[in-house]
Amino acid sequence: MKTFEEKFSAWIDGQLTGDELADFERELATRPDADAEKFAAHQLGDLLREHVATPRLANADFFNHQLMQRIAADEAQPAPAPRRAFFWTLPRMALAGAFCLLLSFAMYFVAVPKTQRQIEARQEYVAKILNAHSDDPAISATAFHDKQQNVTVLWLDGLDYIPDHQQVR
Amino acid sequence: MPLESEPVTTAVEDAELVARCQRGDTQAFNELVTKYRNKIYAMIYNMVRNEQDAWDLAQDGFLKAWKSIQRFRGDSAFYTWLYRIVMNVTIDWVRKKRAEGEAEFDETLGLKGVEPGAVTAPKGELLPHKKLEAIEIRARIDEAIAKLTPEHRAVILMREMDGMEYQEIADAIGCSIGTVMSRLFYARKKMQSLLKDVYENL
Repeated sequence: MKTFEEKFSAWIDGQLTGDELADFERELATRPDADAEKFAAHQLGDLLREHVATPRLANADFFNHQLMQRIAADEAQPAPAPRRAFFWTLPRMALAGAFCLLLSFAMYFVAVPKTQRQIEARQEYVAKILNAHSDDPAISATAFHDKQQNVTVLWLDGLDYIPDHQQVR
Repeated sequence: MPLESEPVTTAVEDAELVARCQRGDTQAFNELVTKYRNKIYAMIYNMVRNEQDAWDLAQDGFLKAWKSIQRFRGDSAFYTWLYRIVMNVTIDWVRKKRAEGEAEFDETLGLKGVEPGAVTAPKGELLPHKKLEAIEIRARIDEAIAKLTPEHRAVILMREMDGMEYQEIADAIGCSIGTVMSRLFYARKKMQSLLKDVYENL
């Protein structure tokens, strides 16, 4: 389906034929200035052809000479080295992102305690670490935390009684 | 210069020259340049209205064609293909100049660039006052052409100056026939309004 503008150009240039031409001319009956516009368009074409004559290329042989020199210079240039592929291509970046995400999930599930049982286990684990650093296997140190009382108790076991003269009073 | 009315021998000659170009024969390309340089230069000159710019753009267009010749498959005539490359180079240049605000008509350039006998080339010897009138009309036409967008400029020059068919223009610019007709409509309207007083005084 041609627009009015398209059909108008085709009409001016004599490109409409048959039914298309008849239909368009019926459409133009409502535009009394259509013929004047067609005439003006032909006048414009005549004006351009008369006054915008085809210029000729001056020094045409030099034009070829210069062009051939440019081509020769262009051919003489070494072919550009193939670009080094950038390591971080899009698929690699996507893979790395996915890996980081998985790693952070794993660290979250492993390192962050979530249930009370896990928290207690963690406390026990901390206490055992304290035990592990004792030289004497008979000595143990255990830490307890009472959440309700908000108190931490350090329980030392297996130590000798402190002599009377060293007791802090 | 309708493209499709080129003699068959021309198309055959072009195909042979193109085949040699594709084997790296610069002499064959030189022959193609010689054959089409005037048409290409004229088309560009009418678009940019400056000899030096037209020369440079024609050089760039031919150089680009040489670099791309391996991709020419012969689906269209060589000249249509070349025309399209050169037209793209020229339209890009005009668009860039307009963006830089340099596309306004330079009256001194327009008048200086016009040789009454050579460039406007009216038939036979003109009387001095007629020569002056021709120069003035050419300057007004240049001024009007400069006010068109590069796309409208290309279409109206190809149609009115080169007598190209709609399909040939569409092939050369890389758009549909409908777009060509539509651009032609608006380009003519604008040129008519800009040159109205020129018609009236003819």
